[in-house]
Amino acid sequence: MSSVTTPLIRLGAGLEIGYGAPLARSGREIALTGGTHFLLARNGRGKTTLLRTLARTLKRVSGEFEATGFTQYLPEDLRFDPEISSAAIFRAMLPKSRVADALALADKIELDTKKLYGRLSTGNRRKASLIVAEFSVQPDKGNILLLDEPFSGLDAYARHAFEELWHQTGGHVLRLVSCHPDYDAMPMPSAVVIEKGEISHLTGEHQTWSSLKALLN
Amino acid sequence: MRLFRLTVSTIFRRKAWAVCAFAVIALPFVLPMISMASERPAAIMMARIQASWATVLVTTLMWGLFSAARQGESNSRSGLGEYFLTTGVSSTRQWFEIWLAVMTFIVPITMIGTSICLFFAMPGDPAEHAMWWTTNLQFLFLFLLAMGPLLGLSVALASRFGGIAGFALTLGLAVYGLYGVAYLDNMLRLEPNAILSGIWKFSPQYRWADLTQRLYFKQGPIASQQFWELVAYFAGIFAVYTGISRLCFRTKSLA
Repeated sequence: MSSVTTPLIRLGAGLEIGYGAPLARSGREIALTGGTHFLLARNGRGKTTLLRTLARTLKRVSGEFEATGFTQYLPEDLRFDPEISSAAIFRAMLPKSRVADALALADKIELDTKKLYGRLSTGNRRKASLIVAEFSVQPDKGNILLLDEPFSGLDAYARHAFEELWHQTGGHVLRLVSCHPDYDAMPMPSAVVIEKGEISHLTGEHQTWSSLKALLN
Repeated sequence: MRLFRLTVSTIFRRKAWAVCAFAVIALPFVLPMISMASERPAAIMMARIQASWATVLVTTLMWGLFSAARQGESNSRSGLGEYFLTTGVSSTRQWFEIWLAVMTFIVPITMIGTSICLFFAMPGDPAEHAMWWTTNLQFLFLFLLAMGPLLGLSVALASRFGGIAGFALTLGLAVYGLYGVAYLDNMLRLEPNAILSGIWKFSPQYRWADLTQRLYFKQGPIASQQFWELVAYFAGIFAVYTGISRLCFRTKSLA
């Protein structure tokens, strides 16, 4: 695969993130490439701050980082106009060639695309935002998806459908997914962990949430 | 242009534009029939001129500015502005796309109003037809040139200070520029005042873009040189407002 289609996130050693004052710091260089990487930390430790820093909507406190690829940051509280339907959102936001696939996935995960966005439940609104982000991925480029709590409010079936979609995507998409997992066996072969003000990257083929959660106390 | 398409789709689906379009089409015919003009058939055409342009003006000031403010506020508070920013759509581009989406509705509405005035209030004398066309097209051009920047300003102010502030400030500015400056002008003629004179000089003279009286009294088009001076004047306001809008516009709320 050429470097043009390979997304990359590199946190330099000494990168400090925060709102003015440092909230967390990467002690060593961290490099992430295509695939799914989970971002784990307890509330208020800097998950959203790190995602916003990488999305370049928040200035870093100090240090260097690199994010190469077409970036999409999906804020946790992203919402569309309440008087527009999900189908209309997809038609406005997605390339024509991808709308049918987006509607098919919506149908599969039981998102009523004709219902007004304002009348959808929290979980269904989340599905709409995630579909927009996933189907906005550019196939000819490296992509970075920074997803802030994408699973909050989502039912297990829908979550599984998205995880399946992630597995099917090639290495041209890098997902950094902040979340609070709700089952111990959830596989997390690559996890960026923020704890005690330190950002670290833990990997392991059989690594699960069960083995990582003890680190977050 | 994803934000443009999303904004157009959102405004379209709210359907308030349909009420505006209906008002612009129907009121120029209905209002003269229920006014004093119904007793003087000769005055119906004059009443239609006033009704058509007044409806376009009210629609633009009330619905146009409100929609612009609502979209500006929504973009910054919903997280969409931040999302688009991360995808490489700059602040300036976001402001432009929202403004363009609002103009997509305002331009046709204004053109409908112009067409009604043009075709259904046209003088009977064929010798006056050319004058009528020119005056109406001058009005259309000046009107859009004057209102466009206000709509952009409404988007920007609302994104920073909220929808109510964005709408109220730009509506106040428009009303002042249409009627307040004339009042100030009269005051200064009665009693010169250096401070008020300074305020007057820097006030936007939107009344100069209102050619209703010129149409009403069939005064003919504005002379070419004067028209281009007016275009330059409103283009200057356009540039100033664009600069202010760019400085004010926010893609994400401060909260």
